[in-house]
Amino acid sequence: MSLDNILNHWSDFRKGSEEGGHHNYEHRWAMAINLDLCNGCNACSIACYSENNIAVVGKERFEKGQAMHWLRIERYWDQPDKVYPEQGASFLPMMCQQCGAATCEPVCPVAATYHTPDGLNAQVYNRCIGSRYCSNNCPFRVRYFNFYSYYESSWPEPMEQQLNPDLTVRDKGVMEKCTFCVQRIRTVKDKAFMEDRKVRDGEMVTACAQACPTSAIVFGDTMDEDSMVSKLWKKHQVERGVYQKTKLAKKNTDLRGYRIFEELNVDPSVMYLERVREDI
Amino acid sequence: MTMATEKDINEQIAWAKINTDVLKSMENPRPAYWVTLFVCVAMVSCAVLAEYIQYTEGMGTANLNNPHMWDMYISAFVFWIGMSHSGTLLSAILHLIHADWRKPIYRFAEAMTTFSLLTAGLFPMIHLGRVWNLYWVLPYVSDRGIWPNFRSPLVWDAFAISTYLTASMLFLFVGMIPDLAICRDNTTGWRKKLYTLLSLGWVGSDRQWRHFRKIYLLMACFLIPLAVSVHSIVSADFAMSIMPGWHVTSFPPYFVAGALYSGCAAIITLFILLRYFFRFEEYMTLPIMEKTCKLTFAIAMVWTYLNLIEFASVWYGHDVYNKELLIAKATGAYAWIFWTMIFCGSVLPFALAVRSLRRHMPTMFVVSLFLNLGMFLERWMIVAPTLSMSQEPHQWDIMYGSIVEWAIVFGSFGWFGMLFLIFVKVFPSVSMYEVKEMVFHRKRSAGEEDLERMTDHAKPATQTTTGGEGA
Amino acid sequence: MSGNMNRRSFLKVMGWSGAGATLAACDMPTTITLEEGKEEVVSYLMPEEYVIPGVGVWYASTCTQCEAACGIHGRVREGRVLKLEGNPDATLNNGKLCMMGQAGVQGHYNPDRITTPMLRTGGSLAPISWDKAMAVLQEKLGAVSGDRFAWFTGSISGHQSALIANHLGAMGSKKHYVHEIVNNAVSQAVNRDTLGEAVPRLRLDKAKMIVSFGADFMGASQSSVHYAGQYAKFRTNKERGLFVQIESKMSMTGGSADLWLAIKPGTEGVLALGIANVLLNQLKLGDAGIPSDVRAMINDFGISKVAEITSVAGDRIQNVAKLLVDRSPSLVLVGPSVEGHAHGYDATSAVMLLNHILGNVGKTIESSGNFPFPQLMAKQGSTADLLAFAEDAKAKKLDAAIFYGSNPAYTAPESLGLTEAMAAIGFKVAIAQFPDETAMMADLVLPVDSYLEDWGTQVPPIQSENTAIHVQQPLMERIHEQTRGLGDILLSMLKQRKNDEYNQFEDYYAYLRNAFAAMPSEVKKSAKNNDEFWNGALQTGVIDVKPEPKTLTSTVASFGVPMSKSGDGNGLHLVPSARLGLFDGRHANLPWLQESPDQIAKVVWDSWVEMHPDTAAKMGISNLQLVRVTSAQGSVELRVVLLKGVHKDAVAIPLGQGHESLGRYAKGLGVNPLKILDKTADSKTGELAMYSTRVTVTAIGEPDALSIVRMGTGAGDSQAGRKLVVTVPVEQVKRTEGV
Repeated sequence: MSLDNILNHWSDFRKGSEEGGHHNYEHRWAMAINLDLCNGCNACSIACYSENNIAVVGKERFEKGQAMHWLRIERYWDQPDKVYPEQGASFLPMMCQQCGAATCEPVCPVAATYHTPDGLNAQVYNRCIGSRYCSNNCPFRVRYFNFYSYYESSWPEPMEQQLNPDLTVRDKGVMEKCTFCVQRIRTVKDKAFMEDRKVRDGEMVTACAQACPTSAIVFGDTMDEDSMVSKLWKKHQVERGVYQKTKLAKKNTDLRGYRIFEELNVDPSVMYLERVREDI
Repeated sequence: MTMATEKDINEQIAWAKINTDVLKSMENPRPAYWVTLFVCVAMVSCAVLAEYIQYTEGMGTANLNNPHMWDMYISAFVFWIGMSHSGTLLSAILHLIHADWRKPIYRFAEAMTTFSLLTAGLFPMIHLGRVWNLYWVLPYVSDRGIWPNFRSPLVWDAFAISTYLTASMLFLFVGMIPDLAICRDNTTGWRKKLYTLLSLGWVGSDRQWRHFRKIYLLMACFLIPLAVSVHSIVSADFAMSIMPGWHVTSFPPYFVAGALYSGCAAIITLFILLRYFFRFEEYMTLPIMEKTCKLTFAIAMVWTYLNLIEFASVWYGHDVYNKELLIAKATGAYAWIFWTMIFCGSVLPFALAVRSLRRHMPTMFVVSLFLNLGMFLERWMIVAPTLSMSQEPHQWDIMYGSIVEWAIVFGSFGWFGMLFLIFVKVFPSVSMYEVKEMVFHRKRSAGEEDLERMTDHAKPATQTTTGGEGA
Repeated sequence: MSGNMNRRSFLKVMGWSGAGATLAACDMPTTITLEEGKEEVVSYLMPEEYVIPGVGVWYASTCTQCEAACGIHGRVREGRVLKLEGNPDATLNNGKLCMMGQAGVQGHYNPDRITTPMLRTGGSLAPISWDKAMAVLQEKLGAVSGDRFAWFTGSISGHQSALIANHLGAMGSKKHYVHEIVNNAVSQAVNRDTLGEAVPRLRLDKAKMIVSFGADFMGASQSSVHYAGQYAKFRTNKERGLFVQIESKMSMTGGSADLWLAIKPGTEGVLALGIANVLLNQLKLGDAGIPSDVRAMINDFGISKVAEITSVAGDRIQNVAKLLVDRSPSLVLVGPSVEGHAHGYDATSAVMLLNHILGNVGKTIESSGNFPFPQLMAKQGSTADLLAFAEDAKAKKLDAAIFYGSNPAYTAPESLGLTEAMAAIGFKVAIAQFPDETAMMADLVLPVDSYLEDWGTQVPPIQSENTAIHVQQPLMERIHEQTRGLGDILLSMLKQRKNDEYNQFEDYYAYLRNAFAAMPSEVKKSAKNNDEFWNGALQTGVIDVKPEPKTLTSTVASFGVPMSKSGDGNGLHLVPSARLGLFDGRHANLPWLQESPDQIAKVVWDSWVEMHPDTAAKMGISNLQLVRVTSAQGSVELRVVLLKGVHKDAVAIPLGQGHESLGRYAKGLGVNPLKILDKTADSKTGELAMYSTRVTVTAIGEPDALSIVRMGTGAGDSQAGRKLVVTVPVEQVKRTEGV
């Protein structure tokens, strides 16, 4: 953030977010979630608890809306006029969308949340002072605040032995959220670097994508042209960048791919595929 | 002024009487004073206890939750910041436009500014998850080259509020120097020492008066844009976000108007209290009250207008989330708060337009309290409903604060009252030298060249009491 | 600096303050202090061979969180197991794992585990040593023999099952009660009678249409991950599979249906007959192999009659039947809500009849073949065994019983009088990991290793195309010194009876090594020697076996009218629904699963009763109101959650809560609907008719939104006009993606 940096790289800063903004991306991790396959089973959510040391808050605090589930399955009913929900329920796995033009980033007073060269919205727990502005400015409401300290209540001995040492246990007063399993990304990138090669598609899987019994979640790098997730994004004509561009560039609007709150122009990294129902 | 047949102040007051009246107000507190102070301290104690619980247990004790990451602490913060505006801003503006009637009331109004800023400044700390790292929002030189995020409105807040607080306190202090000298010359003991220190060797010489006038004018000029920018920046906390109900272009003027509004209402409240407690009927006169009321009424109408603009632009705009939120505000779970706010903020001020009501102190006292209630609710209506009903419907929620949150917000009023009560016993709450100027100017304009008699009544030691400008 | 501070004293001060700082840092609660000297600090400079500091290593094992026995990989770092994932080598679950499997680590590290053997002395359980425990066991079991001794377990397979059989043999008893609340025992009976095989292989992936009568195959079923994988293929096939779910309470699986039909509880068999009627009489499918009495019964159930009985619209029935013919091969599934009636066998037969008529047998229902090691095959649980156990115990036919992997004291309805039955057994042993209700009733409690600490083999009852034995190995050292493996306990018990035969095995590990060495060469495949075979098996966690091929017969056995014989009855039908997560209540002590919302009702940490809004409105009951649900056997009090996914004649209470013990996370939450079930049993198989209880609902309190915790109900479960989950018609997808 030095003045030199700003002056020397002014043109970089002037790029629109569809061109990658002022980032020189190494990767752009992304997801494609097929809602037609999601059966709402919660395996992803528990895998996330297990991988990411997420605190269990208990009934009273859940009741207050202080739950910490980084990945939650939202369930909606679609047919309000029918006596019975004849087309089943609509399930939506909702986690941090790792927006390319994330609204949480500019509002943090201490820059505890910032954009990484991997296209992630990183959250630096050590830097966070708990102003909670990021969460207020997140249209997806996927940022979770440590309203209490959970060391004792969530991991009574010997439960603490399960904690993943690859990432911290967050203390009270700190914001946290889905990281796309950044500790796994780190490990995979380190390994690839040591072996002097690129990260292979499928080498990096988030805990949720790994667990999903119907393989509804596909994770990968959209900068890798050959990755499954790139192909899916391309197939469904969903592109990185701004609303106008994606919407108008989408030649075939019948294609199932969409991003939630596209109109807010935040460039999410998660593409959902519409749920399909046969009307019989 | 030509319309006013009644005089702002009795021009027959002797300068010496002004001194004695004001100085008397600083001594021998009446029992009512002690009772009030005790109540305020008790309120602060409740808040301290609540804050202790919140600090040790966590922010969750305030019932904050996933959609409601901010709640009453932020409302109270905006409220107190707003409250701070009338004092300094009005005093500075009125000073520049030579509105004489400001003189008896500006001192306590400025004190009010300072104390509400001190109150407001507490809230970001109370609200912060890790308050011990608060200094990270300041651009101190770090050997790691880590700076705050200059794009964040919260950082702007930190700059704006600290600047405003410094400037307001200086403005208050500088304007008080001649009076402090009077106090110095009329007291003994610790007071004497304090006032000697604070009056900075004021003897009322020509040179001192000349410098004083210059710096005071300069500060007034500096403060006006600053005060406007401060509340604009506070409004940026909301306006810079993408949340429905927050992302509103008209927020900066809306906030400034709201600030002036609540500040004026608070001035009326304190005006009546001081008038009653210190028997300042001769200084805090009905004509001044009337002028303050008229000003408040005007600002209330500006505020109402800006409200209507906001509603209209949302109504005719294409932002579905915003519109939905507006409808929910007026008809949903928070509707009673919304309509109370509209009643207190837009309907009740019409009482200020009625002359007989304006002159009836008990009525005005109650009305001014209700105006401020309306303004508090306005701040709450800005913060909470947006969070309750943002873009993501899965996380919609209705939330009212916990006892901890209420206790802290409640205690902030006690804190403000406590500071103010201490202030009025330590510093002159009416500007003596300026009231003297007022009397002098009026008399001179009325052609009663009776300066001799007036100066005779003043104590010989108090050279300072000579009106500088006129001399 | 003052004059009397020289360089030397400065260094002294620095040294002391440095040491002070270090000591202060040691004074953290989790750090070992030098003063205590209780624990040794082991340097990672010389680590154990298999420990690579900072690097997680994945080991293969098998999940035992439900009877499905999916293959797992456990991530082990610094000697601790941290995370479980599916084992990609196990084709059963293809590297996937459900929420219960993921939460296995929480059972392993659970703070409420039983850590020491306990003996009931003077009314309460007191800790004793293992030597004492084994001595007591020897003494007490020595006094019993023959059928007066019994084992009571949940579904069990592999070598542990074989050892239990051996122990029963050594005791001279044949009584092995195998009990599961979530079971498919009735359909197994029907399959045995019609297909000649109890557990045929269902091929959801090959079907073009699935009609499921209450089968929550992706939720609380016999192998949810396996079926979910197949379901994914079924949906992503070139021609997208069509899924119809027919049930009285929307299950998790029902949430994914293209068409979800609410049916009057207990009339599923009638609907099946109605569909059969359309298939045979209107669409003219062949009726070969259908006994004449069944054929006559089908003719008897014309569409209008069926529509009236089942409350499913006639054109729906017609449409489903037509689609079943169009989308061949199809697959008709049957679930517990069909089986759990006094006419459960008949209803299940009626539903399975559709597969026969549609010619699905051999296409989407295949034979699993004959498993080459019948002694290792899964013994799947049933409720008939629970009933039999209760009867036997009450008749004082049992002197001693050993309980493992099942919690009858929790699952048995009050009407079975299990407390009385348990009291009638002289000596009760619980081999238990947690202080569950059954363990708390036992006279001797033996603490067992968690499945992440123990050796074993598991044979999945539902097999994928590659039939396999799954190997279970310890992923870390025991957390608690005093627990022991099930196999080790069994061996010790066998040594007490047949020392000469079992003395050769030092422990269960040695027994398994020996058993693996004895496996035939076609199983060992290319392994050069026993060690290589053993190591290979541990590495992959899977031993592929070739079942003897077999073909299914497609016959239809006669069955009765699949309707309640006792008339329509009074009151609402109680649906005691199991759910993925807490399952039958065994996982109520895992906080992740408690905090994970029910997939449909989205309630956490509680019990609730689901009602249709219309039914509730008729009774003047509002959402979240406290009600009393009363059956002939008793009543429970809980809150109402209004959901449209319940038939108007039914109320559903989920299983899983209402524990009287089982540790801090489970105790005292919610209610257990199993307690108020009637004792009715299926007339043919003797299975408990779990879905036949009638209840009345009475409001006893005011609605109170704060006492039941639901996730994300702010907007009333609606998307509020947002584009969050968008549903598109299949035609559009066909156009663009050609599926």
